[in-house]
Amino acid sequence: MSKSTPWQALWRLPLLVLALVASLGLAQVALAQADPDREAATAVPALDADAWRQIKSGETGPNYRDSRFDSDYNLINASGETWRQLRERWVSPFGVIAVVGMIVVIALFYLVVGRKKLDEPRTGRKLLRWSLVVRSLHWTVASLFILLALTGLNLAYGKAVFRPIFGDGFWAAMMSGTKLIHNYLGPLFGILLVILLLRLLAHNIPRKHDLDWFAKGGGLVGKEHPDAGFANAGEKVWYWLLATAGIAVIVSGLVLDFPNYGQARDTMQWANIIHAVGAFGLTAVALGHIYIGTLGTEGSFEGMATGYVDETWAKEHHNLWYEEVKDQAIPEEQLTAGRAHPQGDEPAPRSG
Amino acid sequence: MATMKFMCDAERCIECNGCVTACKNANEVEWGVQRRRVVTLNDGEPSEVSISVACMHCDDAPCIAVCPTETLFQRDDGIVLHDKDLCIGCGYCLYACPFGAPQFPKQNAFGERGKMDKCTFCAGGPAETKEEEYQKYGANRIAEGKLPLCAEMCSTKALLAGDAQEVADIFRQRVVQRGHKDGGWSGNPRADADSLAYDATQQG
Amino acid sequence: MRLTPRSDTPRAGGLGISRRQFLKRSGATTGGLAAAGFMGAPMMQRTEADEKTAWSDAPVETRRTVCSHCSVGCGVYAEVQEGVWTRQEPAFDHPINRGAHCAKGASLRQHGHSSRRLKYPMKLVGGEWQRLSWEDAIEEIGSKVLELTEANGPDSIYWLGSAKFSNEQAYLMRKFAALAGTNNTDHQARICHSTTVAGVANTWGYGAMTNSLNDIQNSKSIMFIGSNPTEAHPVAMQHILLAKERSQAHIIVVDPRFTRTAAKADSYVRIRPGSDVAFIWGLLWHIFENGWEDQEYIDQRVYAMDEVRDEVAQFPPDVVENITGVSEEAMLDTARRLAENRPGCVVWCMGGTQHTTGNNNTRAYCILELALGNIGKSGGGANIFRGHDNVQGATDLGLMSHSLPGYYGLAEGAWKHWARVWDLDYEWLKGRFDQAEYADGQPMNSSGITVSRWIDGVLEQEEDISQRTRLKAMFYWGHAVNSQTRGPEMQKAMQQLEMMVIVDPYPTVAGVMHDRQDGVYLLPAATQFETYGSVTATNRSIQWRDKVIEPLFESKPDHEIMYLLARKLGFGDELVKNFEMNGDEPLVEDITREFNAGMWTVGYTGQSPERLKAHQQNWHTFSFRDLRAEGGPADGDYYGLPWPCWGTAEMGHPGTPILYDTSKKVSEGGLTFRARFGIERDGENILADGSFSEGSELEDGYPEFTDAMLKDLGWWDDLTEEEKAEAEGKNWKTDLSGGIQRVAIAHECAPFGNAKARCNVWTFPDPIPKHREPLYTSRRDLVADYPTWDDVASHYRLPTLYKTIQEKDVTGDYPIILTSGRLVEYEGGGEETRSMSWLAELQQEMFVEINPALANDLAIAEGDMVWVEGAEGGRVRVKALVTPRVAREVVFMPFHFGGMFQGESLHDRYPEGSAPYVLGEAANTATTYGYDSVTQMQETKCTLCRIEKAS
Repeated sequence: MSKSTPWQALWRLPLLVLALVASLGLAQVALAQADPDREAATAVPALDADAWRQIKSGETGPNYRDSRFDSDYNLINASGETWRQLRERWVSPFGVIAVVGMIVVIALFYLVVGRKKLDEPRTGRKLLRWSLVVRSLHWTVASLFILLALTGLNLAYGKAVFRPIFGDGFWAAMMSGTKLIHNYLGPLFGILLVILLLRLLAHNIPRKHDLDWFAKGGGLVGKEHPDAGFANAGEKVWYWLLATAGIAVIVSGLVLDFPNYGQARDTMQWANIIHAVGAFGLTAVALGHIYIGTLGTEGSFEGMATGYVDETWAKEHHNLWYEEVKDQAIPEEQLTAGRAHPQGDEPAPRSG
Repeated sequence: MATMKFMCDAERCIECNGCVTACKNANEVEWGVQRRRVVTLNDGEPSEVSISVACMHCDDAPCIAVCPTETLFQRDDGIVLHDKDLCIGCGYCLYACPFGAPQFPKQNAFGERGKMDKCTFCAGGPAETKEEEYQKYGANRIAEGKLPLCAEMCSTKALLAGDAQEVADIFRQRVVQRGHKDGGWSGNPRADADSLAYDATQQG
Repeated sequence: MRLTPRSDTPRAGGLGISRRQFLKRSGATTGGLAAAGFMGAPMMQRTEADEKTAWSDAPVETRRTVCSHCSVGCGVYAEVQEGVWTRQEPAFDHPINRGAHCAKGASLRQHGHSSRRLKYPMKLVGGEWQRLSWEDAIEEIGSKVLELTEANGPDSIYWLGSAKFSNEQAYLMRKFAALAGTNNTDHQARICHSTTVAGVANTWGYGAMTNSLNDIQNSKSIMFIGSNPTEAHPVAMQHILLAKERSQAHIIVVDPRFTRTAAKADSYVRIRPGSDVAFIWGLLWHIFENGWEDQEYIDQRVYAMDEVRDEVAQFPPDVVENITGVSEEAMLDTARRLAENRPGCVVWCMGGTQHTTGNNNTRAYCILELALGNIGKSGGGANIFRGHDNVQGATDLGLMSHSLPGYYGLAEGAWKHWARVWDLDYEWLKGRFDQAEYADGQPMNSSGITVSRWIDGVLEQEEDISQRTRLKAMFYWGHAVNSQTRGPEMQKAMQQLEMMVIVDPYPTVAGVMHDRQDGVYLLPAATQFETYGSVTATNRSIQWRDKVIEPLFESKPDHEIMYLLARKLGFGDELVKNFEMNGDEPLVEDITREFNAGMWTVGYTGQSPERLKAHQQNWHTFSFRDLRAEGGPADGDYYGLPWPCWGTAEMGHPGTPILYDTSKKVSEGGLTFRARFGIERDGENILADGSFSEGSELEDGYPEFTDAMLKDLGWWDDLTEEEKAEAEGKNWKTDLSGGIQRVAIAHECAPFGNAKARCNVWTFPDPIPKHREPLYTSRRDLVADYPTWDDVASHYRLPTLYKTIQEKDVTGDYPIILTSGRLVEYEGGGEETRSMSWLAELQQEMFVEINPALANDLAIAEGDMVWVEGAEGGRVRVKALVTPRVAREVVFMPFHFGGMFQGESLHDRYPEGSAPYVLGEAANTATTYGYDSVTQMQETKCTLCRIEKAS
């Protein structure tokens, strides 16, 4: 045993593991000056290298017992510190960078490039793009997404922002409300997103011309609009992001949300990391999606709002789709008159 | 300022679970939640060893770092407490804690875990009245000048609690004694068998 | 990831109860049930929902009590507010435990809050429990007892008492049975340490722990054989580990199981169950071979060691290895550790005693210690750890079928002695008994049926029982029937009884396993925290307990119930003749004073209530190292006045901390071996030879003191005139004035004489202990050389089988050895501890330990449900726990569980709301026949079984 107090050194975080079994660890050093054989026999009879390995591996061996009934915890939660470091050092900063960064990028883009207006004047003839079902789904999913994103961000960063502002009483209620919303609406979001994704799957099969779309940067490079079907390549990317990262976020969210299935602590740590990274990423991308769908592009928002888009918009942004459905265009007046008809529920003509 | 710590002398721990029920006795924690647990490695093998574990009141506590609601906080004397009014039952402290200390009364769907509970070093927690404190957190023995009941009642004085420096001294002396015929205790006031000074539970 | 949802509360072991029920139950786990007692039954529902003891600002009253779970005798500060036990504080100043507790002691406060108690008198009518008033209950039960006594004689009723009684209650219960006219009374010592008491007392005088837990700190070697203190006596480990740490004592654990104690030992030796004598002889073989015995000690203080040498010569290393499974190196190593590290002690418990050969085992351990010269020395000794908190006291106070209080026996002289103490007419007392003569003699003078065998007392052919009829009614007064062997036969016996009466704080397994429709009564008894009195710890220290709380619900203290029943049975006035009465409750201190007046043999005479209370109030003055008070009101006394505390209280004897320790004066706690067996044997002197206690005026062996001896010595005139009048014609045991003891001690002589310890107990079936194979042995090849005894026609009034059982080879069907033992969380039959939520939570399922190799052979995995079927067909359905703790051919089950019977839950048979939190199969449903040849101790540690995976 060194002369210096062991506590200062031992209780540093990376050595927490050591601290618990310090009773054994300390003994070894201290007895080195005594009789080493005796020490080996009596001071730390049990903590041989294998036992240490077992503790640190996080596994519970066949002859491991815990006074807690039905517990599957090891002596030491070996991955807890890894999780904390990942979360605090990487994931949390990443979330801030991703979300704030995206806001900054969009703002700059808007200031520099500005709103993308239609090149040609509107024809006044409308094409049905989004059915009522899809619109309902979209807006429900979108609202839930925003709610989950806000509550999620609050869970991650709220303590730094709101507690000083609101004080403990309101803060406590706010946090428990936040958690309730997040945990109960999360699964609903998951289900609806999956339905929406299935519904839109056919539009989002990647095509050859999508490569060209990328090459032209979605029209930013050069004057021409690149070819695009019902969904352009950018939308497809968003779709597939949701279909991959989104599903990952949902699944990891379910793992976290239903601890009653007895999933191990380690499983939940990984689920939490996946969930956070995925959700922050999607939130950032969603900001882009929202920008393009509203401020960024003239004529896009009305499509999701009313279901119909102007012929000009369709021609410019989704030329291939327009070619397929141009004969189905309806004059705007007829559309407003025919609101009574259940026409809106008809599925949009498909491109293939 | 003293820094309060637990230490379990594995050479003495006999897995009698006295600390577990002493904690229940002091704090009346509900069925299913054990603020202190005893783990046994290599049970039934020659290398069998048992250690009593609870919240270790870490200096740089991971639970405090990861808690989204700042439920957890550390007192000046090192004791890590939790404010049940703030806890939302997210479980993050449990993921981070190296010792499996935070527990939840429930494990239900939609993350319904109830309020986190963990060892308070028998120092209660934030509350308006003593009654509320007892109902929410259990005993506040520290306020009465006593140490955690688990350590005070340990059957073999394996579990030590108190100021870290004192605990370390006691343990160091035990270790020396185990190696020497008369070592460690000679000329030391703690050498008197009748004195419980070698027992941390008498200090604090 | 597991795909089945798990409930938020742990499942309860094998109960098949719904989660709602469970939550309801666990809701009642902790809280303010004390209040419920005052509010009465209708309030139960509401109070059961309370989660925590209500917080109170009321003034705190601190009571000093003693844990009721084991015989270590840990002190407790109970803090009470407004009659509710709200806090428990560690008693750092208590000389035995220094504030320490195991799981049971640390949860002691829950005794004041358990909602699973039996709440009021009940009777079974048509299979349903009905509530009864105390008056009706006593009236109905009493009338039935009178009717049965009239028809079948007093021996048809069995009064089964308890080691959970205080000394006063145990004593009163024995007196009660005597006045009821029967010796059919007993308690758990019979199935716990009866073979110890018989074997050890017959070796050197008293059958109790010779030293103390504290004194173990001075040991240089400690051998545990059939003892597992880390689970059974955890606080004793505090002293043991101090010995290990301070003086580098060698700890040796000899056990079929690698126990938790073994995990703390320097050396672990695995023996085959039932081979203890061969093991000890194997050690002695090496000791004699190397000349390690203490020859001077043997010459002075031991009789017949040469005969032991002859027997030991039959056990060379190869023979020992064949019988015990221990190699020659391990035997030599163990012998060397014991020989080179003296003084050393041997500790044994149920692993040594609960065998058909238990009396041989206990004597073999004693002989080993005698050969090493360890008895009567600080750090040495035969440290017998007793089980229940007051099993030592209840034994001393004679709650046994073969003796009156103080081991006076049942001969006419003993009855006359106690009749004088009780101030009752001997002839009247005699008239209470059945006057007929049976195989064992007259019932008044013949040992009654033992607790281990009441089953046979009910089921045996009437003409083969040495009393008028079979047993017709049983009183289970604080007894866990699941701690007894032969479960299925027990159930049959229960069905044949005309009446069962259970007097207990809990309904107990007896209340639910009988499968009867009526004729069962439950009477709620108070716990030891709801009354007060004295309790004897394993080291013979007598401690006083305060009353912590008022009796919960409608329960009454046992001594009050005894009086109520006695009054109904017509001997109430005689029972309480010498006691001040407080309503129906005899004054506890008066009971203490009454046994003080008669217990001369074991020195329970100096421990007056006043002295005991003074000790209780001054825990802090007693030394943790040797129990002696330094200063204070009890200056110089040893804590609890460990018996023998000679003479009257006025004499001020300090108690005897170490038995037979000749280095002290008798007046200061020194002692010699007792001259109990005469003065010569076959012409050889068996009094001590040149050994005597410090300061003794008789510097050689001497017989026990009588009036004649005082006159011969010229010490008669040291008596006062009053003493002379009383002592005339008496001896040290029967002189009620205490004068003979006083004068003997004034001359620093032991009142009971000074003799040699004897290795040859010529009154026993095996005068020199012999190895004999268990009745159900897996080693058929050893039966020819080491057979058991022939059957006995009548022993303790019953035919007892040995050869008949052993001759039948059942190893084909039942190849696995079954043994049993304790868990730290539970105690005894477990009914009380399984009703404490803080404890029950820790052990929720009954299990069987199986070696990994055997589990592989049987295709059983950890967590599988298996059937363990005993060699007599009793089956238990339990969970498999695969562990290297047990050897390949041995399986182990803890015996604390109950409330399941051969796969069926008895949960619904409990009166509503009184089932323990945890139910499980009783290990003893699967255990088998087998009784010790001296004491009728049951065999639980070695039988045979088979194991099958349950579907």
